[in-house]
Amino acid sequence: MIKIEINGQIVEAHEGDMLIDVADEAKIPIPRFCYHKKLSIAANCRMCLVEVEGAPKALPACATPVTDGMKVHTRSPKARAAQKAVMEFLLINHPLDCPICDQGGECELQDVAFEYGNDVGKYSEAKRVVPDHDVGPLIATDMTRCIHCTRCVRFGQEISGLMELGAVGRSEWMEITTYVGKSITSEISGNIIDLCPVGALTSKPFRFKARAWEMVAHPSIAAHDSLGSHIEVHTYQDKVMRVVPRDNEAINETWLSDRDRFAYEGINSQDRLTVPLAKSKGQWDEQEWEDALNQTVELLKPHLNNPDTVGVLVSPNATVEELYLLRKLLHAHGVKDIETRLRQIDFRLDEAAGKPVAPGLVNTLPEIEAMESVLLVGSNLRYEIPLLNLRVRKAQLEGARVRVLNVADYPFTFDLEDKVIADPQALVDTLKVLVRAAAELKGTEIPAGAEDAVVSEQHQAWAKDLVESGKATIMVGAMAQQSPLYADFVLWSARLADLTGATINVVPQSANEVGAYQVGAVPANGGNIDSMLASDKKAWIVVGIDPELDTVYGARLKQALDQADTVISLTAYDSEYLRSVSDIMLPIAVHTETAGTFVNATGDWQSFKIASAAPGDAKPLWKILRVLGNLLDMDGFDYVHADEVLEEAKAQTQSLGSVQGDLAIPARTCDKPVVLGEWSLYSVDPIVRRSEPLQKAAGAARPVVRSAIEADEIVLNTPAGPITLPNEYDESVAPGVVLVPMGLSETADVTLTDVSVAAS
Amino acid sequence: MSHTLRHWIKTFGLIELFKGLAVTGKYLFKPKITVRYPEEKTPISPRFRGHHALRRYENGEERCIACKLCEAVCPANAITIESEEREDGTRRTTRYDIDMFKCIYCGFCEEACPVDAIVESRVFEYVFWERGENIMTKEKLLEFGDKHEQIIAADKAADAKYR
Amino acid sequence: MASIPLNECCYRLNHLDKSWDIETYMANGGYEVWKKVLAGELTPQEIIDEVKASNIRGRGGAGFPTGLKWSFMNRYAPGPKYILCNSDEGEPGTFKDRDILRYNPHQLVEGMMIAGYVIGANTGYNYIRGEFWEPYKRFDQAVQQAYEAGLLGKNILGSGWDFDLYTHLGAGAYICGEETALIESIEGKKGQPRFKPPFPASFGLYGRPTTINNTETLASIPMILAKGGKWFADLGVPGAGGTKIFSVSGHVEKPGNYEIRMGTPFKDLLALAGGVWKGRKLKAVIPGGSSTAVLPAEKALEMNMDYDSIAKAGSFLGAGSVIIMDETTDMVKALDRLTWFYYEESCGQCTPCREGTGWMHRVVHRIYTGKGRPEDIDMLKDVSGKIMGRVICGLGDAAAIPVASFLEHFEHEFRHYIEHGCSIYDRA
Repeated sequence: MIKIEINGQIVEAHEGDMLIDVADEAKIPIPRFCYHKKLSIAANCRMCLVEVEGAPKALPACATPVTDGMKVHTRSPKARAAQKAVMEFLLINHPLDCPICDQGGECELQDVAFEYGNDVGKYSEAKRVVPDHDVGPLIATDMTRCIHCTRCVRFGQEISGLMELGAVGRSEWMEITTYVGKSITSEISGNIIDLCPVGALTSKPFRFKARAWEMVAHPSIAAHDSLGSHIEVHTYQDKVMRVVPRDNEAINETWLSDRDRFAYEGINSQDRLTVPLAKSKGQWDEQEWEDALNQTVELLKPHLNNPDTVGVLVSPNATVEELYLLRKLLHAHGVKDIETRLRQIDFRLDEAAGKPVAPGLVNTLPEIEAMESVLLVGSNLRYEIPLLNLRVRKAQLEGARVRVLNVADYPFTFDLEDKVIADPQALVDTLKVLVRAAAELKGTEIPAGAEDAVVSEQHQAWAKDLVESGKATIMVGAMAQQSPLYADFVLWSARLADLTGATINVVPQSANEVGAYQVGAVPANGGNIDSMLASDKKAWIVVGIDPELDTVYGARLKQALDQADTVISLTAYDSEYLRSVSDIMLPIAVHTETAGTFVNATGDWQSFKIASAAPGDAKPLWKILRVLGNLLDMDGFDYVHADEVLEEAKAQTQSLGSVQGDLAIPARTCDKPVVLGEWSLYSVDPIVRRSEPLQKAAGAARPVVRSAIEADEIVLNTPAGPITLPNEYDESVAPGVVLVPMGLSETADVTLTDVSVAAS
Repeated sequence: MSHTLRHWIKTFGLIELFKGLAVTGKYLFKPKITVRYPEEKTPISPRFRGHHALRRYENGEERCIACKLCEAVCPANAITIESEEREDGTRRTTRYDIDMFKCIYCGFCEEACPVDAIVESRVFEYVFWERGENIMTKEKLLEFGDKHEQIIAADKAADAKYR
Repeated sequence: MASIPLNECCYRLNHLDKSWDIETYMANGGYEVWKKVLAGELTPQEIIDEVKASNIRGRGGAGFPTGLKWSFMNRYAPGPKYILCNSDEGEPGTFKDRDILRYNPHQLVEGMMIAGYVIGANTGYNYIRGEFWEPYKRFDQAVQQAYEAGLLGKNILGSGWDFDLYTHLGAGAYICGEETALIESIEGKKGQPRFKPPFPASFGLYGRPTTINNTETLASIPMILAKGGKWFADLGVPGAGGTKIFSVSGHVEKPGNYEIRMGTPFKDLLALAGGVWKGRKLKAVIPGGSSTAVLPAEKALEMNMDYDSIAKAGSFLGAGSVIIMDETTDMVKALDRLTWFYYEESCGQCTPCREGTGWMHRVVHRIYTGKGRPEDIDMLKDVSGKIMGRVICGLGDAAAIPVASFLEHFEHEFRHYIEHGCSIYDRA
């Protein structure tokens, strides 16, 4: 520690720290534009010039390392003169259009100009005007306002890994722009809106909607991936206006994925169900809640006598409170088939362990960032969990070797050390080879099943790196989890981890996937969605999902719903399909409209409160369940507050199986070509599917099959008959693999447990 | 003793009465300043803060750009604005309501407006017959502005040099 | 006036036929030093000592002692190191390096080889100004000839020393003459200066230790080592050794490059160039290129052409680009043109230069077009003062200095323009 003096105040600092950080720590304000704690130092805005005793010129605080005994003045006449001069220069070409600028009221330039600007501008010449380009559906540009701080450019280079913005031209004509004719496609592009200190880059969906000062900021938790990023929901007149990140070093740092940022447009969608609806004689009637709930109880009661004929499908994005109450309500009546694992087709792991085996991250995100060797198994991490991808990228930039086993050569935003692109069976075989290589390296017994594996130099290098890196991890992603060989992937990864000392992280995908396991929203009787569909259910309760889109059981589920006597839908959205199968539809609130808790990938219970008002008569699900409990004359359903439910849920978490290499599972092979489902960034849940800007963005799903088969069309057999989909010849997809986009109406019939390629 | 006597003289001498009549008489012959409203009207300052209006530019384009500064400055929270991007990409209000019951006619909205869109005109003679009419909507305010544009423009021009 | 010795160092071969050919160069003692170096007869330390003894200061404009610069490099540090030559000669009035590249490229090649050897760099780049197509071809040809003669490449002359030299043609940006912008440009990025520290000696090309020298500096090295540092130092004055090429342009009878000894009186240089043209009187001189301060005739005529003397007169030797202005020169028009240049060439990276150069140009141009306002002069002084010392690289200051100095010495001309809408020479 060294001591420096800022404005006469003695401040302790580490040698080599930048002056601006030291001053920030000591709460001594220094104005800045180009400096950002998460980006490299550019020192180009010159706003942070301060006087350092002994230096002939004013020095930029962001790029001046502190030295012992340094004497700094941030408000001396010399420093003020420099700061005011820079402010004046910045303002000469900045338009005076604050009244129509969305940044107005939260603009760094406005704030700094307030303190450092002159009352009257001396500049009377024509101002610069920069033509705007359309850079996509998420970001609005007003480049005339740009002050060339290059934060957005550095974000692309350093954080997102896609250099989509650059500075072209020089002098006053320097322009921040995309490559000719290109738009911004990054999955975390929205962060440049936050980074931009002026109104040059603003949110397009939010454009001109509300002012910073009139919105109420509600701290909340993001609901569209398993990280549970900390967010702030900004509401105006109780309506969500926008979502911005909240700093949290352990999870999302200062970033937020576009999916979490712009999904709110789906919350404000016109498709929201606003009143309870009941079907009578083929007609849908609007109902009062009291009648609707009574009707629900009446529909349900006959089936509760025969609880095995009731199946419940719940969104894994439902809150802990909702899932817990659902379990409490239904378990009491003997209904055990409550399922949240809607996209899993291989349940051998649970069968072997005798209880549900939950995914989860054993490492914290900062730990993942510090890894030296990472093996990604079946993961398009960038599009699964964008912010987790950032951590792996950071690790790679620090020198970590990242290797992947994947069914397609997905574009990563960092350099891969090595990769194997093959069909699932071959990937599992590769894992076996790696296990053998690791066993040979360690001189231990070769685990059963890996005896026949032939080890090549490539595999040796992979295994060696995992063994020798002090910090290594194996991450199993969504493509493995949703494949027919999930259990093999996990087991062999776990065996490899055991042998090499690496950690194993099976990456959860949905906001409350881990929570669903913990509160028992997975069948307690060893069943699963597959067995539920195989048995003859008379009644289904469908909660928070679009049943035809949100599972991989497509036509099978549709048939089951068609054949059931009773279908009760608790849904936030009205849809034709739900109307066609349901007997009653109850409008529920989404996550910003209810108090709740999500358990994120690393197992943190993160609670949040109501941020916005539910539209019309929609009610939080936990309240509906509470009343249903009352109507069913059950005890213990007299909650007043969601916290009480949470307390109870916490006290009653379920015992779960862990990912272990010593489980024995029945062998399974899959025929080629293997049809795998692929969830695009913006097809993962009902809310993002209804967010218009996201559906126009680069990550939106297209109804096109990808494969290395040279054919214009591919015909897939489904239980509802063959469907024909256009095929995109893609060499990056492994031979013998057909990737089908899920979550689209075009592929709603695709049933991944029962699918084959009929013709191409 | 003398007090009682003075009181007696005052009461029976009708001194107060004559004093009062003297005042009345004085004013009877002074020039009159009372006006016979509504037939007659007093002159009104161009700065008079009466009924609100939303103005347009000469080409017919509405001035208001939905910056919401008037809404923010309004001490009575009488203004409610909702805004959106219009088809041509400009920032416009979709709702501009002033609750005339809440309004205290302080004129801050006018002061805050960067484009002279919201103004308070010299019109003060208006009544509401039904509840709900007190909400001046965007359409009503624009219509009012169109109707009185000439006089508003003249008032603003007259006051411009003092700003 | 005694006869002035001319062309003793970089231009020593310029009078010869085909002086750019390797045969001409070798016939005149070329590559002898390089061979001596490779043979181990001159150690790196000896070379540095010799260069220090020669008192040579950087010829690119900043005037930093070359020997000292080289001694910052650790020759034995592991990993690649680079020697760069800055031939991005873009300053208005400067054209000295062009003639080195055209007429004596081999001496530069040899200088770069030696410098590379001293600092332990196996790779050199010569960054040549984008518009210098002919000099670029000449230099590139010289490099090829040196390769063919076995003087470049792997294991040169069996010495075990490798040295590769690349010629890099710029794309026409003034800013790339700034050393860190030049590095960025070679790396394939946009030419923008880096923030310093770190200096190139620790973090240069591709993040490796790098030394950058001016063309004239490097071209002088073979002669310094051939004839000795003392010889070179004695040519000049104390504190600034050797000869210096002065590019004389403007209102003179014989504009051109003159390689003369440091400390030669300005009067003599002016006489060499044939005096002010048409027999007119001298009005002003920009002694070191457009980014140095302008000097009025009376001050210029008293100075000698060396660092200290010009500094005493109130300007800077810079790159030795002497711009002569005669008595009919409209200083407002001259400044209008100069500010336009800096406006056009600012790289746009840091605020004061990006915004300030445009502002200054617009105001000067307004005055020049007769629309000046009384407050404009104070505003120009204010704006140029606000740029100085608040930018990343030296070129922001370079843009502000002309404005400040023109106003310092010729404010009355600007006033006349503002008051009458025309030049003092227009008798409207």
